[in-house]
Amino acid sequence: MSDAVTLTLAVRPAHALVADCIAADRFAGLDAKEIAGLPVMHGGRPGRLGDFFKVEGGRSRVVRVDGDLTRLEAIGAGMAGGELTIDGSVGCDVGVGMSGGRIDVHGDAGDNAGGARPGAARGMTGGEIIVRGNVGDEAGARMRRGLVVVTGDAGRGTGTGMIAGTVVVFGKTEPGTGRFLKRGSIVAFEPMERPATFRYACTYRPPHVALLLRYLRAHAAVPVADRHVAGRYERYSGDLAEIGKGEILQWAGE
Amino acid sequence: MKINGVAIEDTFAEAFTMRVARLVITGRTAKWAREAATKLTGFATSVIGCKCEAGIERELTPAETPDGRPGVSVLFLTMDKESLPQQLIVRIGQTVLTCPTTACFDGLPDVPDRLAVGKALRVFGDGFQASKVIGGKRYWRLPVMEGEFLVEETFGMLKGVGGGNFLILAGDADAALAAAEAAVDAMTNLTGVILPFPGGVVRSGSKVGSKRYRKMVATTNDPFDPTLRAITESRLPEGVNSALEIVLDGTDGPAIEAAMRAGIRAACRSGVHTITAANFGGKLGPHHFHLRKILA
Repeated sequence: MSDAVTLTLAVRPAHALVADCIAADRFAGLDAKEIAGLPVMHGGRPGRLGDFFKVEGGRSRVVRVDGDLTRLEAIGAGMAGGELTIDGSVGCDVGVGMSGGRIDVHGDAGDNAGGARPGAARGMTGGEIIVRGNVGDEAGARMRRGLVVVTGDAGRGTGTGMIAGTVVVFGKTEPGTGRFLKRGSIVAFEPMERPATFRYACTYRPPHVALLLRYLRAHAAVPVADRHVAGRYERYSGDLAEIGKGEILQWAGE
Repeated sequence: MKINGVAIEDTFAEAFTMRVARLVITGRTAKWAREAATKLTGFATSVIGCKCEAGIERELTPAETPDGRPGVSVLFLTMDKESLPQQLIVRIGQTVLTCPTTACFDGLPDVPDRLAVGKALRVFGDGFQASKVIGGKRYWRLPVMEGEFLVEETFGMLKGVGGGNFLILAGDADAALAAAEAAVDAMTNLTGVILPFPGGVVRSGSKVGSKRYRKMVATTNDPFDPTLRAITESRLPEGVNSALEIVLDGTDGPAIEAAMRAGIRAACRSGVHTITAANFGGKLGPHHFHLRKILA
């Protein structure tokens, strides 16, 4: 057993590379050779992870992926535990259907980060995804439980159809954020366009937001400003076209 | 054995195994955290009449609390594991939930034995409550008129120690009180220990049962009452005209011992004649704190 498994991109994929075999908990029982033999889909054709990545280490729940990963899709799909660090920007579907552990993206992530597989009623059911950059559309879509943190900007439909859980966006969010939200929280530090089916409740200091932001600062090294930890937030309840138990918490100053 | 001319009697304090929880109460200011903690630990001097024993362990700086606000750490003890959650639910519901700005966290996060306290309190939210999992722990958000009350879903429970004690026998009531105050000052803010009685001091130490009233569980400790010296089997040495007791509850034996050591040393001052301790012959409580061994 090694301290960590490191995957380094050796051959840049010419097409989209669906690498949903990369998940920290799954590598716990596999050696380097077995990991290299895991199946991937490259441009719709089957291949092996070892065709594209140099694999170092094995039998560890701590995984690091290096290289230009913008064509990689579905990394960390269905991950149930462990730590997966992605050193660079990554393609769509990172952490779809994840249920535990942490995915830490040091770069941007594509659409549907922490979202649901096509047709699935539920997206993430647990765990944490931290994107230290921007994300595409529909991050955290249909989440049942869990946490998605975006330190940059988020695309359209962020947290769409969430059942519960939390999405935190430090930057801007595009329209459609929070649409069809049943329960759950979307925390936004920048002004955003809310769906018309959200209604203002109050401006207050939500105690769980302070707790969450301090947790992110202490345990995930996310640079959270004191003004956000101690700040006041406008609470908008919604989606009132659904059961309306969700919330958008919009930072409103100190 | 003498310390500063004060005799240390060759005896031991007898203490019991109790169940203990630690609560961390935070507030917008230290004042409000303290207000909630004071109310929570009010009327919690002895299980004999209060069903629980509780006290403020120490004040916490913002850096020491989960939400970065000033806080107070409270130890809460009962005799059995069934009554601990019952007492916590009732008391937190009436004193911390009601207190402006406060939040209530578990202070024993690594303990496997969990009490579903926040989980029971959540129903005050009447269906409007919401939960959040942060760092693997679940918290309940209860909507209240002020805003929101945050309480952790479960609290840890340990086997603790209740009833550690020592008695200060002094020449007069003023000297006994001054020594007791000095002892309490020395034991304040020590980790793992609370002094559940008013100001940390008991004047009405009790014996088990009654000589006269069949139904009384505890009655005056007449061997140590100076006014009864002439008509009971007094245990007060000559020259002693007042006695006060310090009772200590804690998370474990070593914490009680360390506090007793600090407290007794501080109580050994002019006007004090003897330091002794209360026990029941050693057959009732499993924890024995021998004064001379502690102070050696």
